[in-house]
Amino acid sequence: MVTLLGALAFLAQQPPFLTKHCTGCHAASQAAGGLNLDALNVPGEANQEQWTRIRRRVEAGEMPPKGRPRPASAEAAVFTAWIDKELGRFHRAPVTARRLNRVEYNNTVRDLLGVDLALADDFPQDDSAFGFDNIAEALTVSPLLLEKKLAAAERIARHALFGPDGKTQTVRFEVPVPRRMEATNPVKLTAPAYYSMADYDVTGLSQPGAFHLTHRFPADGEYVFRVIGAGNRPAASEPGEITFWIDGRQVQRFPVNEVVLSGFERRPDAWEIRAALTAGRHEITAAFPRQFEGLPPRFKGPNPSKLPQPPLPDPEKTFAGFGGIPVLPPDAPPGKVEERRLAIAKARDQLANPRWEGLAVTEVEITGPIRPRKGPSAESARLIPGCGQSGGRQSVDCARRTLSLLAGRAYRRPVTAAELDKLVSLFEGTAARGGSFEEGLTVALQGILVSPDFLFRVDNASRYALASRLSYFLWSTMPDDALMSKAGDDSLGRPAVLAGEARRLLADAKSQSFVENFVGQWLEIRRLESVQPDRDKFPDFDDYLRRSMAKETELFFTHVVKEDRSILDLIDGEYTFLNERLARHYGIPGVTGTEFRKVDLKGSRRGGILTHASVLTASSYATRTSPVLRGKWILENLLNAPPPPPPPNVPALDESGVGESLSLRAQLEQHRRNTVCASCHARMDPLGFSLENYDAVGSFRTHEGKVAIDPSGALPDGTQIASPDALKRVLRQNRAAFAACLTEKLLTYALGRGPERGDEETVKQIVRAAESSNYRFSDLIAAIVTSKPFLKRGER
Amino acid sequence: MKFVTRKHLPRRTVLRGLGASVALPFLDAMTPALSAQAAAPVRMIFVYVPNGVIMRHWTPKQQGAGFDLPRILEPLKPFQQDLFVLTGLAHRTGEGPAGDHARAGGTYLTGVCPKRTTSADVEVGISVDQVAVQALGNRTRLPSLELGCEATRMVGSCDAGYSCAYVNSMSWRSATSPNPPETNPRSVFERLYGSLDPDPDPAVQARLDANRKSVLDFIQDRTAELTRSLGASDKRKLDEYLTAIRDIEKRLGKAESRAAAPSMEKPGGVPFAFVEHVRLMNDLLLLALEADLTRVATVMYAKEGSTRSYPELGFSDPHHPLTHHRNNEEWIEKVTQINRHHASQFAYLIGRMKSIREGDHTLLDRSMVVYGSSISDGNVHTHHDLPVVMLGRGDGSLKPGRHLAFGEKPMANLYLTMLDRMSVPVEKLGDSNGKLEHLSGL
Repeated sequence: MVTLLGALAFLAQQPPFLTKHCTGCHAASQAAGGLNLDALNVPGEANQEQWTRIRRRVEAGEMPPKGRPRPASAEAAVFTAWIDKELGRFHRAPVTARRLNRVEYNNTVRDLLGVDLALADDFPQDDSAFGFDNIAEALTVSPLLLEKKLAAAERIARHALFGPDGKTQTVRFEVPVPRRMEATNPVKLTAPAYYSMADYDVTGLSQPGAFHLTHRFPADGEYVFRVIGAGNRPAASEPGEITFWIDGRQVQRFPVNEVVLSGFERRPDAWEIRAALTAGRHEITAAFPRQFEGLPPRFKGPNPSKLPQPPLPDPEKTFAGFGGIPVLPPDAPPGKVEERRLAIAKARDQLANPRWEGLAVTEVEITGPIRPRKGPSAESARLIPGCGQSGGRQSVDCARRTLSLLAGRAYRRPVTAAELDKLVSLFEGTAARGGSFEEGLTVALQGILVSPDFLFRVDNASRYALASRLSYFLWSTMPDDALMSKAGDDSLGRPAVLAGEARRLLADAKSQSFVENFVGQWLEIRRLESVQPDRDKFPDFDDYLRRSMAKETELFFTHVVKEDRSILDLIDGEYTFLNERLARHYGIPGVTGTEFRKVDLKGSRRGGILTHASVLTASSYATRTSPVLRGKWILENLLNAPPPPPPPNVPALDESGVGESLSLRAQLEQHRRNTVCASCHARMDPLGFSLENYDAVGSFRTHEGKVAIDPSGALPDGTQIASPDALKRVLRQNRAAFAACLTEKLLTYALGRGPERGDEETVKQIVRAAESSNYRFSDLIAAIVTSKPFLKRGER
Repeated sequence: MKFVTRKHLPRRTVLRGLGASVALPFLDAMTPALSAQAAAPVRMIFVYVPNGVIMRHWTPKQQGAGFDLPRILEPLKPFQQDLFVLTGLAHRTGEGPAGDHARAGGTYLTGVCPKRTTSADVEVGISVDQVAVQALGNRTRLPSLELGCEATRMVGSCDAGYSCAYVNSMSWRSATSPNPPETNPRSVFERLYGSLDPDPDPAVQARLDANRKSVLDFIQDRTAELTRSLGASDKRKLDEYLTAIRDIEKRLGKAESRAAAPSMEKPGGVPFAFVEHVRLMNDLLLLALEADLTRVATVMYAKEGSTRSYPELGFSDPHHPLTHHRNNEEWIEKVTQINRHHASQFAYLIGRMKSIREGDHTLLDRSMVVYGSSISDGNVHTHHDLPVVMLGRGDGSLKPGRHLAFGEKPMANLYLTMLDRMSVPVEKLGDSNGKLEHLSGL
């Protein structure tokens, strides 16, 4: 009924603009782009997203598409104003109860209790909306989630009050398909260029075969690491070496004397070390240094082996019984004798020219903690102060004080006496059943940890909610005491104080969470976790490279935050952060070791996030690049102008069969001849083509196969872009659009809701405010947190 | 960010031998011991493969009994007498403009066209498995099990303006609440057998159980109280929470079976290789079915629109782009191989189900296992003539071993028939217009 009335009203009021310019294509019979205006009501709550998109495309001059009569600009303005007016009639009641997502839960538990177990990693994946996984509406609760939270609360509460359970556990990490260098004799390395014997990473840390792991250790204590390797040193090599590193420091080295570490018939070799570690994350690395040294001279490596070449083993003995050298009876026919002769010759040849497989770690086992430190950690003890309970009434008072403190911090607001009473009765109930003081506290703490007051934050207009909003925005965790006290004395609502707190939070190490979560989702870096570039086409892609790629972008963004640079650095900053692995991937000399450091990129082929391997890989297919995906990525993430889904009845552009970029270009050109397709592809494709010199894992290339890369293209307005630099110039010219895009994403992330009516104006104001300082990062953030939607979130 | 390839807890740290004390689930620890079950129950399982199949290598040429299984279904040959090939079923509600993969995922078990939105206001319909769950009540420790074998985290909108929820989940406990599948075998194991160790002293354990109950009561009170003070939109969020609490409390009240000692060791994380991952998930499902921890399950071998590649087949082209083969024979061949590869993994599950005895029957006999896709021709996204096989005899009345070709019928008709075999009479589900005939004989 409502729908029908709406539709009728719409017919009566709909502006002539629609029939003149739109319904020719966007009506029932055709519904181009999936938009059927006949079925669309007047702008309102239910369809605001569609109307906002229509508005944006008309305003940008993208609709009506090229080749159709252009509306006069005044005509378009009247139309968009009509949409604005209609949309202004409703006001959607915002969802303010925001469930903590997995990251927020882990961080908050860490800061509340000093327990860093990251148990939420096992919770069901949080759904995301508008590109982020902290959106109030999308964060749901299933029985499964609650079941896991109940179990997690119990473990966390025990851990906080009694310390780690102290159980020794073994965790095994297996390298599914170890990558290692291989060579045949005469020496032919089947490996990418960076294996060059003249210039390679002698530490072995960035070579294939090294092992890198970030592991979260459950408790302070001693751990035993068992490292298992495979591969060989060619016969007559001098001994090799394996090194073991913790947090970037070499802690142990062993000689690798065995010529062969493993084979079908052999038990792989293993090395064991023991080390005392603190609870929390540590970087564990094992590597084979100087693999090319001490090889027999025929490998032509540096410092060749001086050991004498042993005589060739007798092929008949070595291969007796297998390997195809048959044992023949004396009266064997001549054919069989000849067969045997050939098999022996082949075996001799194999023995003389052995295949060499480089050394690689295949498995690491971590067992521990052994003899863990008993009791709660120093951090837990600090956060949960004792109060000398001694039984009876005194115990209850002590519990009450402790719970008041914990609940206040957990709920991120003062607790009422009634709330406290209920927590105390949880404590007392346990005591009544014969539980100890600590057990009673544990149960009450469990209650706190599954209480809706902890798991949700009601993001309303209260001053405490404002403190939480700020800290979950910039820290993904609860406010600290300083922030809470500013909420408590009500000074936080003053823009200067709020902006000052925002700058303080950004400068704190905890803002790392903001970088990981915001940038990981905004730039789709999280996608890297699941991409699987084709092994045959990109043989040097491994997990270490994958992690290094993500790290570069995080460090780059962190630098912009910490040094308070202009956000325009993201577009074309001529610096980045590299370790040796990534520097070799980029072909940038002079960077050694695993440590990331700032690298000047002037005169190189890199600069800005668009040339980061992370972005280039995340916007490619497993086997090759896609100008369409990359163009779409730029429009969506840098210019906030996402292309609409492809219209129906148009064959999907199928790039996957295209083997080389020449025919891909041709195919895209054909695709663009269709005007409906052209309206989007004319924008997407040239943007993507300008990055064609970077392959699907972000390496620089001038050719694909035998075909020279052609990165040229022209935007719909005729602007030629034929290189990444030209693309960056275009983006810099459109810096206001880029700033608006980033601002809208930040606002969405900060408020945990999608764009709403009125936000466009807010974004404009924020961008204008930040323009005078050339979009300095902290100015942008300060403008966001003092904007009306941020200050007034939850108010109607 | 974690890029751990594989975690593995060796047997010795987890298992202390059959019949000995094993880790028990949180809930299980609170429930009374085993209540004997009478007749073997009927199970309902849905196994999903995405992106359609090459129908000419799927559909048998002959109808009725005694048909030849085409290439893709050949791995199921040992179970031909337990199998229906059902031809002519359709999900017409999945048709429409761009967004076929999302709609296919959304309609598959619901028969309802999902609402086009990238926002959180997702809406489709309750799925058949959850209709069964609601009607049967929580007779088993886990009302249902949702498993997935593709662990990728979806970012942003998934298909032409449709939310990722439609491809992430095929089970929907209500029109607006998806049941996302668990993809980590270790987490599935812990759901079945628990992550907390019980206390060896029964008196202490009883106290712990009472403590847990008091925590549940506490949050139920508090959530109800908080809900009253909030506006409508927030109420909805807190209601979800309250429902979850009640769901768990209800289960506590039931006499449930304590999980028997598992016959497999606790898995590590998500295996690298697809085959290994599916195998583990199949094994976990078998554990759950055999011990009657659940009777309803959904398994997604991959998500609709999946771009997973299967290097074990000797080529690494991602699945989805290949299915847009534009009649290129080489691509069709590769898709056929992927389809057959999936069917082989499924055949393992069926083989194991057939080997598990339950009185005079096998576990397979007492089940209805549907395998198929919500798209038939992946090249042009057709939602009719869907590839569907069903194995098992349900309550004993189904007469498999036949290829039944229907004039077009809604897929949801099959679901009504299945619900009927589970003694869950339902008049309508999604676009159903009756039950599917002839499954019990001609």
